[in-house]
Amino acid sequence: MLALEYGRLLMEAGAGARSVEEITARVAVGLGAEHMDLRVGYASLAITIHIGSDGITRMRRVGPLGVNQSLDHALRAAAGRIERGGFTVTEARAELDRLVRASPLHPDWVVAVAVGVACAAFGRLLGVDWAGVGPIFVAAALGQIIRRQLALRNVNVFISATVLAFLGSTLSGFGARWAGSQTVATDMTVAVLLLVPGVPSLNAQNDILEGRPTLGSARAVWVAVILVFITAGVWLAQGLLGEGR
Amino acid sequence: MLFNIGFRALPWCAASGALALAARTIALGRGWSVEAASFAAALTVGAAVQLLQSRIGVSGNALDVAGCIPMIPGGFATKAILGLFTVMAPNAANDTLGTAVGNALHVAFTIGALGTGLAIPTLLLRVRGMK
Repeated sequence: MLALEYGRLLMEAGAGARSVEEITARVAVGLGAEHMDLRVGYASLAITIHIGSDGITRMRRVGPLGVNQSLDHALRAAAGRIERGGFTVTEARAELDRLVRASPLHPDWVVAVAVGVACAAFGRLLGVDWAGVGPIFVAAALGQIIRRQLALRNVNVFISATVLAFLGSTLSGFGARWAGSQTVATDMTVAVLLLVPGVPSLNAQNDILEGRPTLGSARAVWVAVILVFITAGVWLAQGLLGEGR
Repeated sequence: MLFNIGFRALPWCAASGALALAARTIALGRGWSVEAASFAAALTVGAAVQLLQSRIGVSGNALDVAGCIPMIPGGFATKAILGLFTVMAPNAANDTLGTAVGNALHVAFTIGALGTGLAIPTLLLRVRGMK
């Protein structure tokens, strides 16, 4: 089960299926398994541990998939140490608990500012004029703050996407108009690019290329539905402002 | 920052993104399509990450993602879906469906190009041990 916990956390931190399988195998072998088989599903992991002629199968539910590279990196390093030997199950579990507790997170305001800067930069790459940059920055930064609060309150991720897309587009649209931007329609679209699920879309493809079409397809469908909900929010905002019609 | 990448790795992520954008810009300047240019950029980043990650000491996965995320065609995706929303509108232009489908294909092919470009170096040059 402990190997499964490492795999679950890694999957929830945004790793692809191949990495989840590798890391789970390292932990299982490091703790005494001779061989293991792992089935990586979108919402669950199932492992079979083999020791001699005996085997045991366990399944574990996987929570919402996010992206946390610091935790991902820490879990891989820990799995490497466990694989080299010298860990008991208790020590490995204590290490896992320590990693989860001590996984550093950037302060919310720092992330919000960075997201604002990134969206503003995307805007310039996509042809937004300089007057639109400020509104995009403000809308994206506020959108990130609200996104974090909605996530902490376990609001459905699809509903969040529509709400955030509507708020972000509306804010950037009004701000762009006030600032005299000539690219208001683009400004409204760019301000919500923080919501585009880039990592899941790349992971979906990797999973398919590595022989897991079921998991890859599930991720791809999730990506497509998120994009629809984001666009719904943008569409409502454009309707409110009379842009892009 | 959004992916909780550590501060020490952030300059390398910036370098990865700059490399990807430079490669794509050069390819676009030579008249390549967006999809082909994105493929070239992802291939460049993927190869560089696989060759250098053990010396840099930063997760290759983080560098791959950071380099290619800016090229994910979120704007095209939104335009494609917005176009589909307006296809059934009474005053929709005749070419609305064509434009929406064209944008959707742009998205699909670009994401496919990015994923393939990253996957090829990883599969060919995969480094054993901690990524």
